[in-house]
Amino acid sequence: MSTSFVRLISRLLIVCLIGLPFQVNAGMIGTDEVVSAAQAQVARATVLSQISRADVAGQLQSLGLTAQAATDRVAALTDTEVAKLAGQIESLPAGADAGSLLLLILVGVLIWWLVVRK
Amino acid sequence: MASRQEVIPAARRAAGKARVRAGFFLAALAALCCLGGCISLPQSEALRASPPAGLPPRVELTQVPFHLQDDFLCGPASLAMVFNAAGVSSASVESLTPMVYLPGRQGSLQAEMLGATRRTGLVAYTLAPQLEDVLREVAAGTPVVVLLNLALKLVPVWHYAVIVGYDLEKREVIVRSAKRARDEWSFGFLEFFWQESGYWSMLALAPGRVPATAREADFAAAVAALEQAGRRLEARESYRALLARWPDNLVGLIGLGNVEYTLQDMAAAERAFRRASEAHPQSAIAFNNLAHVLAVLGRLADAESAARSAVALEGPALPEARKTLEAILARRHPP
Repeated sequence: MSTSFVRLISRLLIVCLIGLPFQVNAGMIGTDEVVSAAQAQVARATVLSQISRADVAGQLQSLGLTAQAATDRVAALTDTEVAKLAGQIESLPAGADAGSLLLLILVGVLIWWLVVRK
Repeated sequence: MASRQEVIPAARRAAGKARVRAGFFLAALAALCCLGGCISLPQSEALRASPPAGLPPRVELTQVPFHLQDDFLCGPASLAMVFNAAGVSSASVESLTPMVYLPGRQGSLQAEMLGATRRTGLVAYTLAPQLEDVLREVAAGTPVVVLLNLALKLVPVWHYAVIVGYDLEKREVIVRSAKRARDEWSFGFLEFFWQESGYWSMLALAPGRVPATAREADFAAAVAALEQAGRRLEARESYRALLARWPDNLVGLIGLGNVEYTLQDMAAAERAFRRASEAHPQSAIAFNNLAHVLAVLGRLADAESAARSAVALEGPALPEARKTLEAILARRHPP
């Protein structure tokens, strides 16, 4: 009993420690906004935008789009958005369907609980 | 929060006293965690402490249709819902998938959600990262697309959903998500999954509409992006709305002038650039563009003086301003 409680408490503490940085982030909202506004102005002035556009269009193509579709899509983005996408298309959030994945998460939570219960 | 949910049914099933006690202990710890900041939900807590003023207690935009989504298509489905609500009745999951879905990522990128909105002729506007702003937009009749992370920070599962209503008393939002046309989520539940996207949310606005929570510079940039995407008529309408609210906005004045210029309405373009040069006498771009329009109108003496003002202001627009002046001088004094 006591060992399982110790385990339980240590697991929860780990979760708490991982969670702590969020608290800090949540208070820091205002600064991001100021920075991004300033960045947007700098980005608009850069001559590099055409190069990044071709670059991003190429990356979109490698992820399954036709050349035409990729060019059309990039044309609808701002310089700031293109700059953000360049080189990061693989890692930026891509929203997908939740139905089956939610089930996976529930199963994961169940397993986690079973482990904790032991 | 999540841990509390899974503990209660399990504890009920458990036979041994110890298990029940452990369950209670875990639930108490989870509750403590919530209170103590392990799962910190600052925005929902702030809303609980001081409900936002001036909002109707309950709003539901029942007119926002639901689009069922197949695997991985929450991006196109969410957009279809908000596009329909913005008056683009032809938008559907099928029509939007080629504009926003990225097969190699099995999902849709945020930037492309904005891009597809512009290609549809709507203003794509990202909100400030505040739950209260989302509620204000819903109260003003605009459904909001939010980006959620349903899994862990390290193994994210990103998902778009559409907020179509809220209830301040029950502290709930009404959501269309995945295969469910109407869900009620507590503010805390939403915030828990919403946090990791940096509280990202977007609107799709019909031309001429200004968001309830619009910030001047951001809305101006959003309209300029619509112009850049080639939707000039829609951008013109939104520039006018922007200027009705903020008459001296430089992006708005220059943008409106440029749109009028490309649409060949030189009188309107002149008015816009003149207002820009009066409200912003330091803007070389305003004088440079004014000079162009005056030259097209054949008023070369006025054009020359505007071009000279642009050159005198120097700055990053100087090379263009010099070219403008040279072209006007060449026309005034042909060799």
